[in-house]
Amino acid sequence: MKEKFSRWDILFVQYLKRDWKKIIVWVLGLGLFSAAYVPAFEEITKGQGLLGMYETLQNPAMISMVGPTPIETAADYTLGAMYAQEMVLFCGLFAMIIAVLHVISHTRKEEDLGLTELVRSFQIGRQANSLAVISETVIINVLLTLFIWGVMMSFGADTISAEGSFLFGASVGMAGVIGAGIALVMAQIMSTSSAATGSALGIIGLLYIVRAGTDVSNVGLSMINPLGWTYLTYPFTENNWSLLICALIFSIIVVTIAFALEGARDMGAGYLPEREGRERAKKSLLSVRGLFIKINKGVIIGWMIAFVVMGAAYGSIYGDMQTFLESNEMMKQMFTHSGVSIEESFTGTIMMVMTGLVSILPIAIINKLFSEESRLHLSQLYATKVTRGQLYWTSIGLAIIAGFVGILLAAGGLGGIAITAMGDSSTMNIFDFLAAGYNFLPSVLFLTGLATLALGWAPRLGRVVYVYLGYSFLLNYFGGILDLPDWFSKTAIQSWIPRMPMEDFDAPIFIAITVISIALVIIGYLGYSRRDMIEGA
Amino acid sequence: MTEVVKVHGLQKKFGKFQALKDVTFTVEPGEVVGFIGPNGAGKSTTIRTLLGIIKRDAGNVEIFGKDVWKDSLDIHKRISYVPGDVSLWGSLTGGEIIDLFLKLHGGGDKQKRDYLIKRFELDPKKKAKGYSKGNRQKVGLIAALSVDSDLYIFDEPTSGLDPLMEAIFQEEVEKIKESGKSILLSSHILSEVERLADKVVIIRQGEIVETGTLDDLRHLARSTVTLETEGDVAEMNKVNGVFDFKQTDNQATFSADNQYLNEILMEASKLGVKKFESVPPTLEDLFMRHYEG
Repeated sequence: MKEKFSRWDILFVQYLKRDWKKIIVWVLGLGLFSAAYVPAFEEITKGQGLLGMYETLQNPAMISMVGPTPIETAADYTLGAMYAQEMVLFCGLFAMIIAVLHVISHTRKEEDLGLTELVRSFQIGRQANSLAVISETVIINVLLTLFIWGVMMSFGADTISAEGSFLFGASVGMAGVIGAGIALVMAQIMSTSSAATGSALGIIGLLYIVRAGTDVSNVGLSMINPLGWTYLTYPFTENNWSLLICALIFSIIVVTIAFALEGARDMGAGYLPEREGRERAKKSLLSVRGLFIKINKGVIIGWMIAFVVMGAAYGSIYGDMQTFLESNEMMKQMFTHSGVSIEESFTGTIMMVMTGLVSILPIAIINKLFSEESRLHLSQLYATKVTRGQLYWTSIGLAIIAGFVGILLAAGGLGGIAITAMGDSSTMNIFDFLAAGYNFLPSVLFLTGLATLALGWAPRLGRVVYVYLGYSFLLNYFGGILDLPDWFSKTAIQSWIPRMPMEDFDAPIFIAITVISIALVIIGYLGYSRRDMIEGA
Repeated sequence: MTEVVKVHGLQKKFGKFQALKDVTFTVEPGEVVGFIGPNGAGKSTTIRTLLGIIKRDAGNVEIFGKDVWKDSLDIHKRISYVPGDVSLWGSLTGGEIIDLFLKLHGGGDKQKRDYLIKRFELDPKKKAKGYSKGNRQKVGLIAALSVDSDLYIFDEPTSGLDPLMEAIFQEEVEKIKESGKSILLSSHILSEVERLADKVVIIRQGEIVETGTLDDLRHLARSTVTLETEGDVAEMNKVNGVFDFKQTDNQATFSADNQYLNEILMEASKLGVKKFESVPPTLEDLFMRHYEG
């Protein structure tokens, strides 16, 4: 025991010193994001707002995104109940993702970089580092919990009780701890940091999608989902503390497994077997295109699977929609009145969400070209007859095809399962779903274009495109809830595009955004063909 | 025949930092040029400019009489390059990467490839992420040496190689040299280029401070003289061409500029020489002098 964890406290203090700025941003940023919207939500609840929100959030589409509420009648719905339903799941998800990135950056990443080797040559136990990192992450999440509690209490709003606020904070913090545990396990199993990050985030994504399905069909099933142990605590209403105990036990088990796995492996090794490679290259590799496909293959396949699963998960909800409508007189009237079916309304919204996620893949492929450049992978290629144009346009081509296929899989997965789930009552065929999906193609192209613009002129800003995507996503997400001015919501690219099949196809907008995207790609090329290659940056 | 590489008044800035102030040198056909300087002197920046990876701010840079930025593709058909830090795709094997480089360069010699893999004792079936620094360097070298080019550019090629492999590299480069190819060999260690280079170009803080054959440079260096005289040896400190003067009793040690050797001897004889020892200059001294600047 002593041998394993010897002097972990030194590393622990060292991490706090090294990371203090990051910790402040983490706690303040995520804490304010989680707690500071109370006044904004208070605004919404005025007049009939609370009632309207209750009905809106009863829609299976909304439940699949934000989670359910235990309140059964609109009259019992409160500010606290609404805040918890809207926010716990998302904030918990963010807490998890940040914890995953943090834990892997201090474990498998440092192993990749050779830092661990150096540290272990001192009088430091073999597993001291993991213990230090996990302790640090737990402390950070405790701080986060307390901070959220304090901020929420400070508003002194009605129904935002002390107990509820503390449970809200603790649910978010506990989500972070679960994320850290999952990350620590994946850091042992995978042999590179990128594979560890990818698989840990993949697991979280899968948990989220699975719970979207179970929340709508049977909330009881969400209770066996680790993610469910955070947002199903229902702060401000049921205050169900016992779920946090489940989460705590789960975290302890997961971390114990991680330590056992780590104790049984060599430094630098993983648990997935390493095969002997090829002595000669296959013909398919021997071109710029072949190389780029090869180095992006893992990411592309991973996302493609995620798109199909995501589409299928949302598609499975369609069967329950009519049942839901039968039980809710007000919603039924609303839909009959507008002449749009609930399925069509849901399809329009969910396509926007899915194509937003589909955009991540092309952006990642474009950004990959710069990361290859700065990691010196291309140095020797520059000195061959390969042109910059070949590198650039091959990446663009791959990105656009990935976007195209991504939409096909997401919309096809959604449509295929939805039509099966609806059975004879289906009012839409598969082409309606595909049309609704490809309707958003310009937004995918536009985001790809932004990434190429960054690649050509300011490659270090490539990651900012993700920030814009996240911003657009949140704007569209909250746009339906908060009454934002038109110009403001139009800063998100998806807001320009009508939501088919609920709204009609808008050809001029479709063409205009496509042309703008093509222009961005060409402008990006002008920069790329001219600028200095940035190596080792 | 004209120069293979012609660099004249090359300048390059990164933001406010002037990486290259004035770089001028040539590589003649069939010549091996050692490009020497301390870390951060601008060797790699110069080479990247030669390859059209970065764009120069001023000056004239040509390879085979063509502009390195505008005609980079024409040039690239006839050159081979190995970067100082060979970085590879972890998921591909060494063998796959070599094949890829040969294909993208065009005109690789499969037999030479196999011969070199054996010679450098590389395991081509291993994934690149498992290679040490030296093994990654071997992948780059094998790929570059397996193709037939007119100009070979090596940026600190032997870093990470063990002495045995370094010797094999030297032998292989010698073969290329014998077949009349031009080679630009950059290094921060003199001994690495001493054996092969016809000419040495020394760069420091973005400027070329010395160019010439090894013999030329030896001539420029100073001998270390130990002198004992009957008269006051301190007189010698005033003579032209005497540096680093140190005295103990009537014996002095100083470095003497070869240009002023005659003058120094004449002055010494006036004092009555009891002992005179001269140690010829080593190139290492010369380089240290430039490095310390």
